[in-house]
Amino acid sequence: MSNPDVLVIGGGLHGLSAALHLARRGRRVRVLEKEVAGAHASGFSAGGVRTLGRHPAEVPLALAALDLWHGIAALVGENCGFQATGQIKVAEDAAELAVLERRVAGMRAQGHAHEELIGPEALRRWLPALAPHCVGGILCRRDGFAEPYRTTLAFRRAALALAAEVVEGARVTALERHGGLWHLRCADGARHAAPVLVNAAGAWAGRVARAAGEDIPLGFNAFMMMLTAPMAPFVAPVVGATGRPISFKQSASGQVMIGGGHKGVADLSTGRVTLDVERLAFSARTALELFPILAETRMVHAWAGIEGVLPDDIPVIGRSAVAEGLVHAFGFCGHGFAIAPLIGGIVADLVVSGGTSHPIAAFAPDRFGRAAAEAGAALPQPAG
Amino acid sequence: MSVVIIGGGPAGRAALALLPGARLVARPAVTAWHATPGRIWVEDASGVHALPFTRLLLCADEPLLLLALGCAFAHGRPVVDGRGETSVPGIFAAGAILGAATPEAAALQAGIAARALAGQPVQGAIAPPPPRPLPEAPRRDPGAMAALLGTPPGPARNAAALAEALRQSPPAPARPVGFAALAALAGAPPDPLPAQADQEALA
Repeated sequence: MSNPDVLVIGGGLHGLSAALHLARRGRRVRVLEKEVAGAHASGFSAGGVRTLGRHPAEVPLALAALDLWHGIAALVGENCGFQATGQIKVAEDAAELAVLERRVAGMRAQGHAHEELIGPEALRRWLPALAPHCVGGILCRRDGFAEPYRTTLAFRRAALALAAEVVEGARVTALERHGGLWHLRCADGARHAAPVLVNAAGAWAGRVARAAGEDIPLGFNAFMMMLTAPMAPFVAPVVGATGRPISFKQSASGQVMIGGGHKGVADLSTGRVTLDVERLAFSARTALELFPILAETRMVHAWAGIEGVLPDDIPVIGRSAVAEGLVHAFGFCGHGFAIAPLIGGIVADLVVSGGTSHPIAAFAPDRFGRAAAEAGAALPQPAG
Repeated sequence: MSVVIIGGGPAGRAALALLPGARLVARPAVTAWHATPGRIWVEDASGVHALPFTRLLLCADEPLLLLALGCAFAHGRPVVDGRGETSVPGIFAAGAILGAATPEAAALQAGIAARALAGQPVQGAIAPPPPRPLPEAPRRDPGAMAALLGTPPGPARNAAALAEALRQSPPAPARPVGFAALAALAGAPPDPLPAQADQEALA
């Protein structure tokens, strides 16, 4: 491909989803990935497919994305390991249950009925191994989880099948716009040019935005996760808590994955991450208090992916406020996996027609210079 | 100076003889399962805890421990100088981790490394370690990596785990650890870590 219509920086799930949707609309797309596809957050998230507890601005997107997940094979040719197991957010005492009651009432007032309040008996039926102190929860029956790396590869394959290009080892070191084109230079000396640039560079996307003249306050986190040795099946839905960060699920192999928000320390320049064992221990204690059966097992693996985060805990999705031909989609704050199949379509909308029918005003790139987006209305959101 | 020696084989024992104040970590009583800068994380009968160190000598074939500490690897072995010091100052390797062919060779290497570690004169040098072929395999996702790490340690498992860990960061823990023992390490709820900031430019 000598003259792409669109360059995408970032070969993670969001960049590849954008490439796929753009290719489906006939655009010639080239993805530039500095390492390999799914090298960071996309290959190492918890894989949660979750509408439960989302920030109100994300709810419409998460619901639309969930519909895509239920037919994901039609989009990428395989089911990505998606299982609609349901997700449950547990209340550990009456005060937390009151928080959940208010949440469900608020969602219903906005016309959303996907979050369902359940009492202790239903909770026990769904989660028989749950500790007895838990008093209720919110259930989202159509939620579930998928396999992150498998999903990333599926989007890559599907994009390639539609003649998109994915160039790995292409670290962009400079960019500028002139003559109606974005001109990019890579560390290996390669040069690329196209009328439109999509910034899907994940935790590194702030650097891309700055190079284009747009200062967006993107930080980064290294959300830690761990896996146990295989155990006999004891939990089907993905489980979160209300008052503390935890995400908990058991795969078909019997391994239990625990994540949810405790962080290690990352170095963005080297891509290296150091686990924080004390914080990992705190995740283990939370999981053990919710599921005492874990006392029988061993932790065999722990890791972290580097994820871009924004001050209001929701992503940037939209056209650049300062640069022509630039679309941003980054900063998913540890919970972008579930909405990735949709976000690529929104990016394609913005590239092809300049707008989208999906409600994305809350994610505007220039929102940080003015009044903050609606804040404080999401339940604690587990990473992944 | 706080010295930790890992490995109860001939190299570890030889090093301990020269460094009597060192802490020896040897299975099955004590298992080193992970490392972070300046600390070896162990599990023993009392639970999980950290052993701080200013000097470390790794003699057991536990490459993931060195990888977690940022030591460079080449051809499946840690990069060491003739005194056994890795690319990270103060961290040394000898014996099985360097592919020593015999117990005598392992002990000899450990003697050189132990003296160097203690700042004593060293006679002789550790030869460059023989390459350890690493298996070619598609990248594993975390579930597959966990399945690999859950198999009993040995040359094949260690080589496969190293091959995978070299592609990822952070390196995986070297060995499984008791879940309840890990949970017991937790103290008061930690303060939330703020997001890390980035003001760097493309480069």
